[in-house]
Amino acid sequence: MRLTQARSLTRFVSAAVVATVAVASTAQAQGTMTSYTSGFRSLNPAVQSGAATGAPGSQIFAGLVSVGEDYAIEPYLAESWEVSEDNLTVTFDLVDGATFHDGEPITSEDVKFSFETVAANHPFGQAMFGKISSIETPDDDTVVVHLSEPTPSLMVSLQPMLMPVIPQHIYGDGQEVKSHPRNMENVIGSGPFKVSENNPAERLVLVKNEDFFIEGKPKLDRIVYPLVKDPLTRMLMLEKGEVEYAGFAGIRPTDWPRLERADGVNVTTDGYDAIGYVHYLELNLREKPFSDLKVRQALAHAIDTDFLAKVIFGGKTAAGTGPLHTGNPFYTAEVAMYEPDMELAAKLLDEAGYPVGDDGTRFSFVLDVPSWAPQAHVPMAEYTQAQLAKLDIDVELRRAPDFGTWVKRIAAWDYDATMNGSFNYPDPTIGVHRHFDCDNIKNVIWSNTQGYCNPEMDKLLDAASVETDPEARKALYADIQKLAQDDLALIYMPQDFSVTVYRDNVKGLPASPFGGLAPMVDVYIEE
Amino acid sequence: MLKGSLNKLGNAVVLLVAVLVLNFTLIHIAPGDPVEAIVGEMGGATPEMIEQMRAQYGLDQPFIVQIGTYLGNVLTGDLGMSTYYGQPVTQLIWDRIGATMLLVITALMTAMIIGTVLGVFSAQKRRSILSHFVTVIALAGFSAPVFWVGIMLILLLSVSIPLLPISGMTSATSEAGGIAHVLDVLHHLILPALTLATIYLAFYSRLARASMLEVLGSDYVRTARAKGMPQRLVIYKHALRNAILPVVTFAGLQFGQLISGAVLVETVFAWPGLGTLAFESILRRDTPTLLGILFFSSMMVVVMNVLTDLVYRIIDPRIKAR
Repeated sequence: MRLTQARSLTRFVSAAVVATVAVASTAQAQGTMTSYTSGFRSLNPAVQSGAATGAPGSQIFAGLVSVGEDYAIEPYLAESWEVSEDNLTVTFDLVDGATFHDGEPITSEDVKFSFETVAANHPFGQAMFGKISSIETPDDDTVVVHLSEPTPSLMVSLQPMLMPVIPQHIYGDGQEVKSHPRNMENVIGSGPFKVSENNPAERLVLVKNEDFFIEGKPKLDRIVYPLVKDPLTRMLMLEKGEVEYAGFAGIRPTDWPRLERADGVNVTTDGYDAIGYVHYLELNLREKPFSDLKVRQALAHAIDTDFLAKVIFGGKTAAGTGPLHTGNPFYTAEVAMYEPDMELAAKLLDEAGYPVGDDGTRFSFVLDVPSWAPQAHVPMAEYTQAQLAKLDIDVELRRAPDFGTWVKRIAAWDYDATMNGSFNYPDPTIGVHRHFDCDNIKNVIWSNTQGYCNPEMDKLLDAASVETDPEARKALYADIQKLAQDDLALIYMPQDFSVTVYRDNVKGLPASPFGGLAPMVDVYIEE
Repeated sequence: MLKGSLNKLGNAVVLLVAVLVLNFTLIHIAPGDPVEAIVGEMGGATPEMIEQMRAQYGLDQPFIVQIGTYLGNVLTGDLGMSTYYGQPVTQLIWDRIGATMLLVITALMTAMIIGTVLGVFSAQKRRSILSHFVTVIALAGFSAPVFWVGIMLILLLSVSIPLLPISGMTSATSEAGGIAHVLDVLHHLILPALTLATIYLAFYSRLARASMLEVLGSDYVRTARAKGMPQRLVIYKHALRNAILPVVTFAGLQFGQLISGAVLVETVFAWPGLGTLAFESILRRDTPTLLGILFFSSMMVVVMNVLTDLVYRIIDPRIKAR
């Protein structure tokens, strides 16, 4: 708090009056990387998911492992680990001599505390660590995790974005961790960068942790995240080179070519596989006409996701083929695809009992358009409206004025249809199962709000969540994707609108599927 | 006079309470609550977590209890905790008021002085080129959307001619203090202040011009001229003093509304002020923060009204008699 207060006018006026000699440090540019942030309410990824917290959070906190190219699990705070024969016990050996930013040692107790905090407070805590039956800490450097069932998703969940190692001596003081003051103020982490300034109105500044447990890293001296929300301002800053690196840049796909033309600026969609952003048309399956599979098939035939991807989004996105993102290791393209065919669609609607009525329409419905990804959802909704008009279906678009209004409607199941989208997260048990599990039909946003329930699907999901053989697991997910596409639980739209914009002189960016949400220990600015 | 002031103060207090009740009720009626917004930002939550958060923010209480608690707290000077930042609302407002003040006062002063001068000039020479120019500029400034003006100024003064920074109040990477910091802030201030001033300028030049024209046509000005007084004295000693009253009224009003005026400019330039905070609190359903800012700005309106009243008395001694 002192910092935020120190800035603003108080600092301005006092500085002007006292007129102290300027300590202008202009020579600091060498290892400083400028990014930007859209703002966050917490820097502690243990209790807050999402990229706004995760991007800086993965720099401030270390995880037990990090995830490298092709989902390779690499040692991080855990030097090594051992999985028992029955896949029910994992023993981690921690790096010796690692410390938190305040100099306190990082011990097995802190790791245990972090597991428990994430399990109890993170929105995906139960999906990730619900099967941990107990954690033992035989000595300061050893953590033994006991599982009630095999958990193939365990290791990939242990990187800092989803399981940051947080200090027990700070967060274990009995206060509610979700709203703990130290999530924003005087944050003490375990990772490569320390928080030197966190002013939510202006900027976040991270500086190199000189005592980081990996010798010679990180390479950058500083990462600065000024708060910039306006998309046009962001665009201009990127074009002008005021920003070196912007993950989740929030730039419209149609603006990408303009940025690519700018000098020394690169645009890439790499580094979002582990997040796996998929978009879909969600239909409320509880009520007619969408409870009828034939109607959903008709819609799927009418909406050409390939056309959307190639034409409306200028080929910058991939067609959606199912619940998994194309970059997911379990992805399969071998699913039922509904070829664009308006005649077939009309025939299906006739068969389903929705002929064109006296008023010239088959039926009408309201399509909600959320406010949080307009660059994706507005074109999708308008295209859907136009396509369905050709089938004499009257679609009224209802654009949500803000987030809360939309969430309320969808979570209360009080809607006909909505544009929607969600993250896969690195393992489908975290981000995919939630939309299909019969037990997860809840009044909570991004659960199974559409009300899909198929016992066969439940069986497959349950099997996939405990299958430890990667090939067998892949086969299960292939079946899941096929079934999801056969049942049309959701109608998939083009996926992935996330983009990273970076300048030529930024080197050593993580090759991890987590991209900018992975620790940036090797990043440096080339002179 | 004292009695009048006390009366006004009493009215103001009643008004403030009414504003509080109205705001609270309106926000309560609007769909969505802070917990839903937070859950959205987290990417989902379990029903248990949602229940727990509702209880934490007192949202599980009946409406009458919620509003009662809130009013009680406000009376003791406690505006509550922000549901988004988890910080006291008074702290959040205090942290950002400086930036907004700096921006709005700079813009308002610039606009008021330049606008009045332009208005007075063009009133004197009604058919001159300058007069037409002022009318056109005023009309353009009046009708152009402020964010558009902002973007155009950015394109002109930071992209085409790279003189000024695009956004923020300080350079992102600056660690400077002292004079260097002041200069840095001033450097960043120019564009947003200019943008905001363009809009205000239109108001003031038109206002000053109209009221000057009116005063110049009045009897006492004719008398002064008939006495053979030099033109300059007629204008600046006799006419301006009267003509400026509407300008002061308007400035007072705008000071009171400083937050609403700055929202768009602050958003475009990522200026860390109250306007952005207010706008974000709406989107985040951060009820305590929004209510706090609304309360704060209604207080500003009341205070500015009283101050405007005082300034009147200095400019126009006749007002004292009332």
